Amino acid sequence: MNTPEKRYWLDKSGNVNRLVYGLYALCTVLILLDFLYHKHTNFPFENWFGFFAWFGFIACVALVLLAKQMRKIVKRNEEYYGDH
Amino acid sequence: MITNLNPALILVLGPLLIPVLKGNVRTVYTLLLPVLSFVQLYTLPAGSHAEVEVFDLTLMTLHMDRLSFMFAVIFHIAAFIATVYSLHLRDSLQQAIGLVYAGCALGVVLAGDLVTLFIYWEAAAVSSVFLIWARRTPSSYRAGMRYLIIQVISGFLLLAGIILHARAGGSIEFTRLDLNSPGGLLIFLAFGIKCAFPLLHSWLVDAYPEATETGTVVLSAFTTKMAVYALATAFPGTEILIWIGLIMTAFPIFYAVIENDLRRVLTYSMINQLGFMVVGVGIGTELALNGTAAHAFADILFKGLLFMSMGAVLLRTGKINGSDLGGLYKSMPYTTGFCIIGAASISAFPLFSAFVTKSMIMEAAAHEGLTLAWLVMLFASAGVFHHAGIKIPFFAFFAHDSGIRCKEAPVSMLIAMALAAAVSMCIGIFPQTLYALLPYQTEYEPFTFTHVITQLQLLLFSALAFTWLLRQGIYPPELHSVNIDADWLYRKPGAWLARQTLKSVASGEKGIFISIKKLSFEAAARLHRHHGPQGLLAKTWPTGSMVLWVAFLLGVYLIFYYLY
Amino acid sequence: MQFLEHLELAILIPLLGGIFVLAFHSRPRLREASSILAGVLLFLYITQLLGLDPAQDHLRTLLEISPGLSIAFHLEPLGLVFALLASGLWVITTVYSIGYLNGNAEKNQTRFYLFFAMSIASAMGIALAANLFTLFIFYETLTLCTYPLVTHKQTSEAQSGGRIYLGVLLGTSIMFFLSALVITWIQAGTLDFVSGGILEGKLGGTASVLLFTLFMLGIGKAALMPFHRWLPAAMVAPTPVSALLHAVAVVKAGVFSVLKISVYVFGIDFIAEQDASVWVLWLAVATMLIASVIALSKDNLKARLAYSTISQLSYIVIGAALAWPAAALGGALHIVTHAFGKITLFFCAGAIYTATKCTHVSQFNGLGHKMPFTFAAYLLGALSVIGLPPFAGSWSKWLLVEGSASTQHYIVLGAFGLSTLLNCAYLLPVALRAFFKPPSPDVAAAGPGIREAPLACLIPLCATAAGTVLLFFYIQPLYDFLYPVFNP
Repeated sequence: MNTPEKRYWLDKSGNVNRLVYGLYALCTVLILLDFLYHKHTNFPFENWFGFFAWFGFIACVALVLLAKQMRKIVKRNEEYYGDH
Repeated sequence: MITNLNPALILVLGPLLIPVLKGNVRTVYTLLLPVLSFVQLYTLPAGSHAEVEVFDLTLMTLHMDRLSFMFAVIFHIAAFIATVYSLHLRDSLQQAIGLVYAGCALGVVLAGDLVTLFIYWEAAAVSSVFLIWARRTPSSYRAGMRYLIIQVISGFLLLAGIILHARAGGSIEFTRLDLNSPGGLLIFLAFGIKCAFPLLHSWLVDAYPEATETGTVVLSAFTTKMAVYALATAFPGTEILIWIGLIMTAFPIFYAVIENDLRRVLTYSMINQLGFMVVGVGIGTELALNGTAAHAFADILFKGLLFMSMGAVLLRTGKINGSDLGGLYKSMPYTTGFCIIGAASISAFPLFSAFVTKSMIMEAAAHEGLTLAWLVMLFASAGVFHHAGIKIPFFAFFAHDSGIRCKEAPVSMLIAMALAAAVSMCIGIFPQTLYALLPYQTEYEPFTFTHVITQLQLLLFSALAFTWLLRQGIYPPELHSVNIDADWLYRKPGAWLARQTLKSVASGEKGIFISIKKLSFEAAARLHRHHGPQGLLAKTWPTGSMVLWVAFLLGVYLIFYYLY
Repeated sequence: MQFLEHLELAILIPLLGGIFVLAFHSRPRLREASSILAGVLLFLYITQLLGLDPAQDHLRTLLEISPGLSIAFHLEPLGLVFALLASGLWVITTVYSIGYLNGNAEKNQTRFYLFFAMSIASAMGIALAANLFTLFIFYETLTLCTYPLVTHKQTSEAQSGGRIYLGVLLGTSIMFFLSALVITWIQAGTLDFVSGGILEGKLGGTASVLLFTLFMLGIGKAALMPFHRWLPAAMVAPTPVSALLHAVAVVKAGVFSVLKISVYVFGIDFIAEQDASVWVLWLAVATMLIASVIALSKDNLKARLAYSTISQLSYIVIGAALAWPAAALGGALHIVTHAFGKITLFFCAGAIYTATKCTHVSQFNGLGHKMPFTFAAYLLGALSVIGLPPFAGSWSKWLLVEGSASTQHYIVLGAFGLSTLLNCAYLLPVALRAFFKPPSPDVAAAGPGIREAPLACLIPLCATAAGTVLLFFYIQPLYDFLYPVFNP
């Protein structure tokens, strides 16, 4: 390559790590906020500590794991229907 | 402007001129059409107008209430943005058809009676399919055919439903319908197909990703939303819709996770969002219906924005599979930015549009004490961030660098995306502007401390899960594959059955023809022997002379035929 | 105006046109002009008849063979609509024929125009017939006059096609139609067309079922299975003849007779009371579906369209057999709407053949860009035949579906739905291949050599395609005009 391509900030893996740590920090702050204010809720379980946080986390992990299992049943090769 | 002129007609008839215009004149004219139509809409008074007599029916081709006005407004915005988005095209067919299709959808939401609704409903189906065929690939050709057949089924169910409804003593006025009558049920199913109810949804995920770059953008705005409008008008507060809607919010996200074609991921995400709207219609309270209308409004914008960004990627790279893309933020920074705004909007980040619309539906569910429904929707909200909010921008623009270097999207596309992003953010930041349009008065306040914090917790911990799964290598890789869905039923066993039927019917028909031919020859031969000039039976014939004539003619004819 | 009352003018005008065609045998321009002039005159004459007071019968007896048995004409809305349709489309078809016959250098054009005119004269006789006997006579002359047209090319293929054509049409008409006519004569003592029918109290139960079935099978021109093969066999004819068969006169004469007999011999109420149409109804439903399936399997466009016609004719027979005023009215409207749709399709098939010599659907890939008007017109015609709004066919389908719902024949209703889907599947790909599939090697090789058919072909097919749209918006006058026929 005769003209070296511009290097982007994200190309450095260290910077990606920084982003991830930032996310961890943000998550920690958010969950700790639950101590500091009074929730206005519709359901009693919403008041459990960090309900939305762990619900979101577990929901997504479960979603991905289930979807991976589903792939075993529904996945076919691209020519399956014969018109690609 | 002109009294009682249906604005839909401006959009349906106006584009007929587009193919004969050239250059800038065409551009200006094309952009002017949705504007003119909007002005006409704005000057229309509320109520029913434009009576037309057909057979013994009186049609109210134009009906305006708050709900139809709101849908009409967003349809105009969508039509305008989609037109801007397609300005780079040399193919005037797509621009013209896109507007005609928008006009038909407008006709549906402005229809005051079921017959007018039916006419626009079918016309929307027929016009929209050209956006799929316009891609001119073998797979889009077939997908378009399947799409059209299913749309026509929806139209026929609607037709049959309307007739049964009217027969059972109902008027043809388009208003609340009874699901427990046969007519009501058929109409419900017709709406359900267009609204992508579970198992009736396959046309959407099958066909939309096969359309052209601009076609999918146009398609995403109208068909399903007009179905939501129709459901909200005819079946508000129908409990079964809550359950249907919940399934719609939940099941597509599993498919979305493992789907490779990013535009197909977005179609699954469409069903997921439609699910929220359907739940809102099912709950049927003022807050819920407000939520449905508001969310439909917002969804048209952010879903359009996401489809626009993917369309730009497809246009510039020729690829749309997650497995082939990555690192495009370097080549298409603006598109990346707009895509992220769309992703944030659909994910309901605070200050983005779904945050102020979707939450109305969830709030309504909570008010009615629908715990399970609320939890499923919460799950789906986490899921939508996961597959639409993160997956789409991540695999297209970031992830590992695919090495693709291309041009940024054309200016017209960028302008369209900017418009959609701007309107979308306006809604997110100034929700009162949207709330003013809602069918019912509302005091709903989205920006409470609790709502903001809990929503952020939900979303960021979903992001955390994504990051963790990806870094652990658990996240399913993007693979070249298709995933079988409900369309398998008619593309595999259904197609086989159709081929067998075709074969046996064709050979059966031939067989019958040959045996009839043989029979008539034999009959002629026998007649010649017994009834001919020297035959015994020819001498005595006891009945009236008329009958004799028939027999005589028949005999002569058959003998002639036999000998000749 | 006294001369209007001479209804036989409707037959004399085309015959006179035929004589002029013969006279100008060696002057092609004048020959064509006299053919068109006759068509225009006839059309104008029929439009004048529309202005006569429909309350009067305007009976005109030409020949009385024996008391009660006569050749006679009368005026009633159904017949007028058929006459108007046939005469109007005759003009358009003649213009098209000029382009087509010259474009394909067909021989024996004088014979063609002569028999065409005679066929129209027969169709007029059927349209204005005041009794079954007159209708039968002209029904048979129509078969005979169209035979030389079907075998126009005089190849062995044309001969064998013509044999099937003549064999089936004459065979069914003598064996069944004539028998049914005699039975009616014996039972009712009259053959006159009377509003409300002539069989009330004369016949009942199974006998009425048999008689109705006999009539419907006897009208081979309505192409109920298993007597439908004459229609695909006749596709060997030049395209303008196919237009005559499928849209202008022949099959329309068949289904017109079906409606006329249902309304004026049996009476809708009588059919409903006696359930006389029960066999015919199911036969027609089966024909509608089976013909559609077979159409799907045909690659030859004209064969595909022929089976499509068979299927569509059954719509009209079903309209009569449902024995419900709205359905029968739907059937009557379908005669008109289908005529416009189907004539467009055949005109397009002929235009494609004239321009490219392609006859099979699979050869059409990529032709759309060379012949945009033809294929666009085809698309409009196809959408109308399928019955989608905003095209005329949707209204007649609406009434037919309404009839099947009103009589609680839900299976028939479902069959209409299925047929609609099948129609989509076999009609649309013709134009879609042309527009949206890459050109086949043949087409690509022919390159700039392919262009639209001559204007004389193109203008008629665009006109009829536009007709399918206009008729959607102006269906009401036609509906109002025909309404009293079915709701006396």
